[in-house]
Amino acid sequence: MRDKIRRYVYFALTIVAVVILLKTLNWLPLVLQQGTLRTYDSVETVRAQLNIRDLRVPNYFPQSVTWPPSEIWAQTKPYVATLMVFQRAGAIGPILVISQAASDRPALDDRIRILQVKESVPYDLKGRKALLKVGVCEQNEVCSRISWNEGNCVITATMKSSPFELIKIAESLVP
Amino acid sequence: MNIPDILQSIAGRYVTQSFLHAFIAVIITDGALRAWKIEDPAVKQRFRILNVLFPIFSFPFYQLINPDRGSLLFRTVALFDSGRWMGMEVFGVVSLHFFFLFLLAGTALVFFFQELVPILRHLRESDTDVAEAYDPVGKDLVEEALMSLPMDRPRTVIIDDGDMVLFSSTGRKAAVFVSSGLLKALNREQVRAALAHEIAHITRSRRPILLATFLLRMIMFFNPMVLVEFRRAVRNEEKICDDIAISVTGRPDALAETLKKFYSRPGRSPDAAKELLSTDVPLEEYSHDLQLESRITRLEKARLQSRGGGWLPFTIVLLAMSGVCYFVV
Repeated sequence: MRDKIRRYVYFALTIVAVVILLKTLNWLPLVLQQGTLRTYDSVETVRAQLNIRDLRVPNYFPQSVTWPPSEIWAQTKPYVATLMVFQRAGAIGPILVISQAASDRPALDDRIRILQVKESVPYDLKGRKALLKVGVCEQNEVCSRISWNEGNCVITATMKSSPFELIKIAESLVP
Repeated sequence: MNIPDILQSIAGRYVTQSFLHAFIAVIITDGALRAWKIEDPAVKQRFRILNVLFPIFSFPFYQLINPDRGSLLFRTVALFDSGRWMGMEVFGVVSLHFFFLFLLAGTALVFFFQELVPILRHLRESDTDVAEAYDPVGKDLVEEALMSLPMDRPRTVIIDDGDMVLFSSTGRKAAVFVSSGLLKALNREQVRAALAHEIAHITRSRRPILLATFLLRMIMFFNPMVLVEFRRAVRNEEKICDDIAISVTGRPDALAETLKKFYSRPGRSPDAAKELLSTDVPLEEYSHDLQLESRITRLEKARLQSRGGGWLPFTIVLLAMSGVCYFVV
């Protein structure tokens, strides 16, 4: 019986060792290489540590959006990309996501997913050719997304609201 | 589309994760075999087949239960995120994903030339008639041995060759091939053991599970871990057939003596296989002799444990690897 238990314990220790090994291997790239995708505390830290001068932050925020962003993701390798997630004021859950990625490269993530696009129209955003999409997200909530090229990168802003507030935010991102 | 984008696509994630999942499955399985001291080749083979099949289905299964598994949010809680390593640059020049793709391409070539081509050739040859050599002495010996075996009697072909040759072909025209040189070197009991072993191969080749495993294994043609595990499963097959032969003949010593005839350098002792490591011999020859040594030692020590069972450790291993690999993206 004792031998049997020992065998189960030995196997359990093997699993623990595997988990520790994986965790360590997952952590190593962060130490070995600057610019690997990771979270940052503030926009200033991203600018300072990754030398991303072109990181854009909106000047306009509707009252429904909480400042500062709850999550900031950034990487410079294999390409420059950032993602800011903003929470809904007085509630839990993301309301606004602003993603910035090098042109022709995929954006980092899609934290607010438009499940059904109802309308997709070109939009003139302070002289930039933008694409505005309006649809529904989870729980049938109205969502909108706008994306455009700004210099060498593509900026995408997605919000759980009608496009009016989103356009104001997007306009504040354009210099 | 460049390489990082390809690796981020569904197909790329499938390839990457199946490699990682196979790697973890092998570590966990080896740990389980040591923990439970599993020596039975049939049970070991079951674990090896699990390692071959698991990475084929793990990614689609996980995506089915959680489509957001690739999201940033999930990657924050993941045990291992392959994206971090793939983006790494060696000396700031070459990204690691090049080495990864190089490994996959190399494995695909090995699979093609060392597995697929020989198997296709084997299938084609097994359907063609082979001219039998006229060897009355050898024929009598074979007939006598076959008569005493309580097994289905396949077609037996004696090849006029002085070398030690013994193999079987499967398929519709399954047959055992034995050289006249080998028959001269073996006594009656050893011929019985050799034939029983080959008949066991033919009988087991008719089991759909092995054929299905190979067909599914072809999906993982790029996966080095699956390549290794499939070969380990095949090596287990030799030991399983040894056990079947012994259960029929009751003479492990006869089979051990027969196997000694197949050393790449005849007349060597089993221990000499270790010496090969320090001498200049082809790796294939070394590997062949090492496998023979392992089988002979097992037969001589009579550590024959084909009792089956071991389903509880198997279930625990499957659950453990499923749980761990879920968090490996």
